[in-house]
Amino acid sequence: MAYDVVSVDGLRFLLPELVLVSGILALFIITNIGDAKIRLPLTRLRIPALLGGNRFKWNSDPRLPGVISVFTFIFAIVMLIQTLGGDTCNNLVEKFCTDTTILTTTGNSPVDLLKLDSFSRLFELMFFLALLLVSAASINRLQADSNPSNDDLDQLLDNRRQVDFHLLLLISGLGMTIVAMSMNLFVLFVGLELASLPIYVMVAFHKESKAGSEAGVKYFITGAISSAIGLYGMSLLYLWSGSLQLSVLEASWAAMSTPETLPLFGISLLLVGFGFKISAVPFHFVAPDAYAGASSPVAALLATASKTLGFIGLIRILMIVTLPAESGETAVWMLAFGILSIITMTWGNLAALGSENPKRMLAYSSVAHAGYMMAALVAVAAWKSGNFEDNGIMAAELIIGAVIFHLFVLISFKIGAFMVLSHLETENEVTDMSSLHGLAKREPIIATSMFVFMLALAGVPPLAGFMSKFLMVTGIVQAASADVLTNSNVDLIPTIIGMHWTFFLAIAIFINSAISLYYYLRIGVLMFFEEAKTRLPLPKVSVLRFVILLCALGTIFFGVNSDWLVESAIEASSTLF
Amino acid sequence: MASGVSVEFWVATIPFVPLITFPIILFLGQYFNGKGWWRDILKEGGAISLMSMGIVLILTSMVVAQFIGEMHNGQGRDILDWITFDVLRSDGFTNGVNLGFGIYIDHISLMLLFVASFLCFLINWFSIGYMNTDKINDNRNHRFYAEFLIFCSGMLGMVLADNFLWLFIFWEIMGLCSYLLIGFYYERPSAASAAKKAFLTTRVGDVFLMIGLIIMWNIYGSLDFDIIFGWNYFENPVDMTLLKTALILMFIGAVGKSAQFPLHVWLPDAMEGPTPVSALIHAATMVNAGLYLVARMFPIFMGTADSGLIGDLADVGIIIAMIGGITAFMAAGIAFVQNDIKKVLAYSTMSQLAYIFTGLGACLWFASKGKPELAYFALGASLFHLFNHAMAKGMLFMASGSVIHEMHHAHHHISHGEHDGFDAQDMTNMGGLASKLPITSTAMAAGSMSIIGIPLIGGFWSKEGIIAKTWKAAIYDGGYLLFIPAILLLISAGMTGFYMSRMWFMTFAGKPKTKVAEHVHEETPWIKFPLVTLTFMTLGGIVFASLHFISWVSEGHAFHYDLVYEMKHAFLAMDKDGIIDSTFLILTWATIGLSSLVGPIVAMSLYGGNLKDGQKAIPTVSWLVRLSGIVRNRWQFNNKSLAESGLAEALRRRLYFDDFYDWICLKIIVPIGLGAALFDKKGIDGVIKGIESGSQSTSTWVRKLTTGSARDYIMMVALGSLLLVGLIWGMA
Repeated sequence: MAYDVVSVDGLRFLLPELVLVSGILALFIITNIGDAKIRLPLTRLRIPALLGGNRFKWNSDPRLPGVISVFTFIFAIVMLIQTLGGDTCNNLVEKFCTDTTILTTTGNSPVDLLKLDSFSRLFELMFFLALLLVSAASINRLQADSNPSNDDLDQLLDNRRQVDFHLLLLISGLGMTIVAMSMNLFVLFVGLELASLPIYVMVAFHKESKAGSEAGVKYFITGAISSAIGLYGMSLLYLWSGSLQLSVLEASWAAMSTPETLPLFGISLLLVGFGFKISAVPFHFVAPDAYAGASSPVAALLATASKTLGFIGLIRILMIVTLPAESGETAVWMLAFGILSIITMTWGNLAALGSENPKRMLAYSSVAHAGYMMAALVAVAAWKSGNFEDNGIMAAELIIGAVIFHLFVLISFKIGAFMVLSHLETENEVTDMSSLHGLAKREPIIATSMFVFMLALAGVPPLAGFMSKFLMVTGIVQAASADVLTNSNVDLIPTIIGMHWTFFLAIAIFINSAISLYYYLRIGVLMFFEEAKTRLPLPKVSVLRFVILLCALGTIFFGVNSDWLVESAIEASSTLF
Repeated sequence: MASGVSVEFWVATIPFVPLITFPIILFLGQYFNGKGWWRDILKEGGAISLMSMGIVLILTSMVVAQFIGEMHNGQGRDILDWITFDVLRSDGFTNGVNLGFGIYIDHISLMLLFVASFLCFLINWFSIGYMNTDKINDNRNHRFYAEFLIFCSGMLGMVLADNFLWLFIFWEIMGLCSYLLIGFYYERPSAASAAKKAFLTTRVGDVFLMIGLIIMWNIYGSLDFDIIFGWNYFENPVDMTLLKTALILMFIGAVGKSAQFPLHVWLPDAMEGPTPVSALIHAATMVNAGLYLVARMFPIFMGTADSGLIGDLADVGIIIAMIGGITAFMAAGIAFVQNDIKKVLAYSTMSQLAYIFTGLGACLWFASKGKPELAYFALGASLFHLFNHAMAKGMLFMASGSVIHEMHHAHHHISHGEHDGFDAQDMTNMGGLASKLPITSTAMAAGSMSIIGIPLIGGFWSKEGIIAKTWKAAIYDGGYLLFIPAILLLISAGMTGFYMSRMWFMTFAGKPKTKVAEHVHEETPWIKFPLVTLTFMTLGGIVFASLHFISWVSEGHAFHYDLVYEMKHAFLAMDKDGIIDSTFLILTWATIGLSSLVGPIVAMSLYGGNLKDGQKAIPTVSWLVRLSGIVRNRWQFNNKSLAESGLAEALRRRLYFDDFYDWICLKIIVPIGLGAALFDKKGIDGVIKGIESGSQSTSTWVRKLTTGSARDYIMMVALGSLLLVGLIWGMA
């Protein structure tokens, strides 16, 4: 069904986004209500103007902005769930399902802007959840400074900076939902920038700390250049097809009989933009700096939501536009992406191996995870070049479903890990592994949770990280062996020889998982067997603890009870084909 | 039984009772060690464990009462799912293979269940008397009882399991407990090394057993008794060579567990454990596990024969019988020269188990040749011998424990606690104890007679059957190779008569050989009850025999009483139609003559003799002592030249088996191990270390590329763009 985007009919599908907008407005207004009065001209009557002046006690509480943004996100999630389901869905409880709705512009030749289906809704849910956790964790987060001066404390009590932070979170969230829904490259780019710009600011949010501002600037410069390159690619595509509509681009690509220069250039440059977002090698260089410079909740956002943005773009471009229509042909990006994915995962793991800063280590691990997911996307292309027809769609859905599932569960354990670091930051700046020493003796529950997160990142059963990695590897092996298995050849050695080369991606994932175990488990060793400098427990920050516990429970829950989520992810990916 | 809950469920609880009790004892013991009430009232956990065994015995009795009637096939039932998975076979996937624990009940498991729980209970009772006053294990007995209970749980579980896998799991649990209990006095180097030896030797067999089970799995796709026993060889033909291999490999496992040639070396050393352990594990129950495993193969042989594959598996029967015959003869020979009372019993155990193996071998041979009636009889006789032997040997070990305990006590009394290298187990230190230990000597006499096969007493009924069936297989059914075990068994019967009598007379008859032996007296009440109970059990062999125990345990017929037929059958070799088989008449009387006359009389003439003047034995054994005195006075002869011959020396050195194995270990296995260690250290560790340092240095290099300068990052982005464009361009 298509609706006009500005009509009432159309807007009712955008309820979650409208909630975000009202949250932004509420943050503006509520935190600025003060006792300022206006004198009516020519009289002595002074009536309260509400805005301006000295604020009241109730709205100068530094926790208020955080509470507002938390409730906004909760409300948005409720609205999102409200819009789920539809005429064609009957099993809402089991699967994430909604009717496809397309929002267009008015005019003689309407342009499709946004598409609402289970794919976009699932991603919206992911963004909201990630942002919810981050905003909850930063409600009463103190600065990463061991000896806050009086000025700093005053600044903390002054909630204006908190307002800024949460405002940026909300705006970023708005941009993310647009990316999730976009079916037009132009809208996608606008959403991407709307989401990214607040993140650049948040990275540099600690302007007092040198590392923070430096990281912010570096991240911004590199990001801006990558975006520019991507935008240039987009303009090349426009030059070629005359439209940025994904459906139009797809049709033009399918109609192209011999490779043309313009679209190939365009696609390649577009991939650079998304490659930066997912921090694929060699566009990842700034990522460790940014993660280390930013405060931990922001780094968590970078590692999950920001990365997810890039993957949405990649899935849209690679799966919708450039997959060859006929099976038996090879996608143009397949080899390039295959090579990049192997380099990315290996580079990330090797660099993480020697990192002494836990945040940098997590950054590199995030690079490695990007590599795994890229490998899975390459496998989708493999089934196209193979020759199995009906199962192909299913295999592709399974693989993309696995990627979506992985992005989803990353929220639980990646954010959880950064939240633990965030909790450590309440005490001291986290710059090397010694902050983690002996954590188990000081905070057994938090240390255990951290260990759970590490195991999940390493992909140890029965945690969520295992499930997602397992699904991806299964998908890759299935796609790679499709050719061989159709010949009903079940002997081991010929099977392996006859495999598509993407099979080696699965092997690369295996080897890399083995390497990664070293540094993940090392965290456990440090926490449980090293002596801590002090035996005192960490400062009590109950919200943060709650979030950490929630993440740990989620990690375990999605590991043992993942069926429905996997089905939803596969359902979501089925809307692509 | 409660309605709604199946009988099988109650049966399944049996092994869990001791399993639940053992941690309780362990933890309480760790906590309350040395407390008066813990030692005196709870007997350091013995009372708790006895209670638990009592519950087991009650449950077992209920189960036996439930199932004692006619039952032709075993009843299997799954109780507990464990692992369920799909299996890829050459003909496609089989769905949902379940490796759960289930219960399989037939008369064989029923009989062993009873034997195990009955003896566990009695020996637990005995241990309370034996262990408590032993000064060595101060404050350590809770460990003994805990391990004892795990063992019981393993034995009961093994008997009840409805598939070979769980049988194997419980089998290994028993192996572990055997190791722990042999090494109970771990501060003694001999006990520690004996434990290791037992564990490693049985492990050799277990590896083969495991391979055998894997092959079985490959053949049948399951290890469930129901599936394997009910296999239709017409519809699903199997590779008989493979099956034969699997059965032989499984038999090697049984050889290890039941201490048969050539894996027998561990059993004598296992006597380093406390005597109750020797009684329970190394005489009455665990060593029967191997027999049980072989008995469980029986339906496979029947099944193949029923499907027309007559004689395909007959070789397995011959191999089993052959090993049995050799072990029976060899162990009896070594028992001739042992002076340690427990070692004699250990070799006797080995020899008697070998009898049962021979019987089972003959049984499997008949089964494979398609002669079910004879096969059933041989099976029944073997299992009946197992029953009799377990009862008698459990009692003999307890009686020897009583002797050792009192000797030890007396020595302690005389020497005022000083250790002067006195060996309380050495029979050359004893003599004339019949007057001091009335109940022990009676029990020992009854047990020895049962083992020897003195007519009308316990083991006689079953041993006759085994020897007769082995001969029958050799004479009538073309199993010429079976002549070897048949002859060996016959000779061993006489040898048994000699060494068992020798043990008894050396211990109880004649004049006391040391001062210690004069001061022995029986005092502990805990020790008497099991001995008396088992004496009646042993003497009651005639009741079991006339109830047709043999056809009950093998074919599943209900008990029916017919003493006259049994007597005619046993002594006149008369079959159901009243026809006397003269060959077997001769054989029967030859056996009786060898075992009950020749063997004991030679022993009497060498080791018998009246008691010291003024000493009087209890009437139950005084006639024996007096008889030995008469025989000795008339036929005394000098065996010095024989005792100093090379053969005796070889027997004393246990026929050099231990030396041979030591040599193999030193010359072959140790160098291989050293080489492997070297390879591990230099090769594998080297590679791992290399990978580690390599990846660390790569990591450093990789991280160096992250310079921290935005200019470099931008350059990398630009290079990356070029790379992407180039790759995609090149691809298209």
